[in-house]
Amino acid sequence: MNATSFSYDRLLNTLGAWVLALMWALPLVYAVWTAFHPAAYEANFDLFAPLTLENFAKAWQAAPFARYFLNTVILVTMVLAGQFFLCTLAAYSFARFTFPGRNILFALVLLQLLVMPDILIVENYKTMRLLDLVDTIPAIALPYVASGFGIFLLRQTFMTIPRELDEAARIEGASPLGVLWKVYIPLAKPTYLAYGLISVSHHWNNFLWPLIVTNSVETRPVTVGLNIFSAIDSGVEWSVINAATLMTSGPLLIAFLLFQRQFVQSFMRAGIK
Amino acid sequence: MLKSTFLKAVAATALSFSTWASAQAVDLQFYFPVAVGGKAAETIQALTDEYVANHPDVKIDAVYAGSYQDTVAKAITASRGGNPPQLSVILSTDMFTLIDEDLIEPFDSYLSTEEDKKWLAGFYPAFMENSQTGGKTYGIPFQRSTPVLYWNKEAFEKAGLDPDTAPATWDEMVEFGKKLTVKDDSGNVTQWGVRIPSSGFPYWLFQGLAIENGAILANAEGNKTNFDDPKVVEALQYLVDLSVKDKVMAPGIIEWGSTPKAFFEGQTAMMWTSTGNLTNVRDNAPFKFGVAMLPEKAQRGAPTGGGNFYLFKGASAEQNKAAVEFVQWITAPEQSAKWTMATGYVAPRPETWDTETMKAYAADFPAVLVARDQLEFAKAELSTYQNQRVTGIFNDALAAAITGSKDPATALKEAQAQADGILAEYR
Repeated sequence: MNATSFSYDRLLNTLGAWVLALMWALPLVYAVWTAFHPAAYEANFDLFAPLTLENFAKAWQAAPFARYFLNTVILVTMVLAGQFFLCTLAAYSFARFTFPGRNILFALVLLQLLVMPDILIVENYKTMRLLDLVDTIPAIALPYVASGFGIFLLRQTFMTIPRELDEAARIEGASPLGVLWKVYIPLAKPTYLAYGLISVSHHWNNFLWPLIVTNSVETRPVTVGLNIFSAIDSGVEWSVINAATLMTSGPLLIAFLLFQRQFVQSFMRAGIK
Repeated sequence: MLKSTFLKAVAATALSFSTWASAQAVDLQFYFPVAVGGKAAETIQALTDEYVANHPDVKIDAVYAGSYQDTVAKAITASRGGNPPQLSVILSTDMFTLIDEDLIEPFDSYLSTEEDKKWLAGFYPAFMENSQTGGKTYGIPFQRSTPVLYWNKEAFEKAGLDPDTAPATWDEMVEFGKKLTVKDDSGNVTQWGVRIPSSGFPYWLFQGLAIENGAILANAEGNKTNFDDPKVVEALQYLVDLSVKDKVMAPGIIEWGSTPKAFFEGQTAMMWTSTGNLTNVRDNAPFKFGVAMLPEKAQRGAPTGGGNFYLFKGASAEQNKAAVEFVQWITAPEQSAKWTMATGYVAPRPETWDTETMKAYAADFPAVLVARDQLEFAKAELSTYQNQRVTGIFNDALAAAITGSKDPATALKEAQAQADGILAEYR
């Protein structure tokens, strides 16, 4: 009895997992199929349809993608480095130091999580103009650098680290920053990895803010280049658009597949689901 | 100490150099959206470069700004942030919104000479309807379009129809449609008679039907709509009946993006869509096709569509003057012809069609003339104050009728009441 209900349960689980996996993979499979076949096969499936790379060539030529890729990589690196630096220091002070106004300040940081970033576009634009940064990559990155989510997440992680480790390090003569570097950061590695993934994928895909604050090829990320294909007035060329989508999301997808095991583990440890 | 003196000297030189440069050349920034595939962005860039090469006193930075919606968002944000572009191409229907936001200025103060006034009068009146209000000109037509009917000549022949004659009236469209609707043995439709896309912005093509039935959806002041006019209701009933009663069009909401594809693959024998598709259809249709004006009921009719040049506030008089000169140049016959051939947009000035380039192009591809000739019957695209909200309400009403969740009369009556609520403060 027990054994049969167990296998029944297991069967359902496996089935459910397969259905979800297929649903997740279907758009991707369709994208791969149309990207590698001539436009005539967009909507009709033929196993022996001729393969082609022409869609990729067409997509690559439609916009200066090489430059856009470089910009995107610079952008996500800049955002991530800034976030790690600021969020770590802020989270450390919220987690382990008492100072006047700490709770109010932390509440303000949490408040940031409730505000839609799109509402702030005009204010952010004004700030960037004040700093004379309009049409630069730092202008895209700056509004996201002091991330409330990152501070919150790291603070929670730091607070779970036993104080004994902290005290032991201090007895050994480590300075507050030394403790942060030697004790907290190494122990919070899974959180950094998980947060890094979320941050990179979010900024890799961000579109509206970069479009608004930049004007030139030298500063714009891939998403802006991708948008040139959404030509509603003249009908959408699915094969080219899918080739371009694969091209722009490819690096991220490959990176995810390569580091999949680490990501899944760190997500489980960091508790982000 | 030495270092800081040196730095100051460098800064001072740089400063004086930059003021010198700006005294020499007028800087203009110009946002443009891209809504058609192909070479639209490259063509604008090339035209701008050509202008700058011939006018060393002007520097123009042409900035691609995404779709129409993205462009208006970018222009509004930049303006509010104190950094407006001097010039932008934005949907003609956004005119009232931009006036309401106090972001644009009329062209009139920079078009004072007799020659300028003659130039202004040289645009097709149908395009100017969406560009002028209260006696002032806020928009100069540039990438403008209008919907037309495309038909598959081979499918017509197979159905026993004359392949060279498109339906001229509403009744004919239904009659032809019935002959063109093909079912397989199990009763599934393999080819529909006609396809009028309705996803996203159904109001545009529907407006064609409304105008043909003699209705005007909104007044020229942009503060009153006529959604519950019996003629509008009748037009919507016709559209709904195409699927429900006559069964010549697929039921439900029909996608814009996949419409040309469905036409190429023979899933529909006729389609209504923008002239912006002309080049696409010409390149990709695997059969002979024809292009016709939309069929008539009480009269021929179609809405116009697409984008105008707008002049933004916050620029110096010198910049505005240079911007207007650039607009005059890029809408001049030779440039306009290049633009039309690259994109399929309708050249907005009759004189463009008299150039040798356009004559040769039209002789080779007479379909381009259909949209131009239809302009005689075209009316302004639906545009009001609070345009996004009002058209949104109207779109929802149309979608409700198309999907059958409300009957046309009720849906339109409710939409009119809601639109009245929004527009009352602008009267």
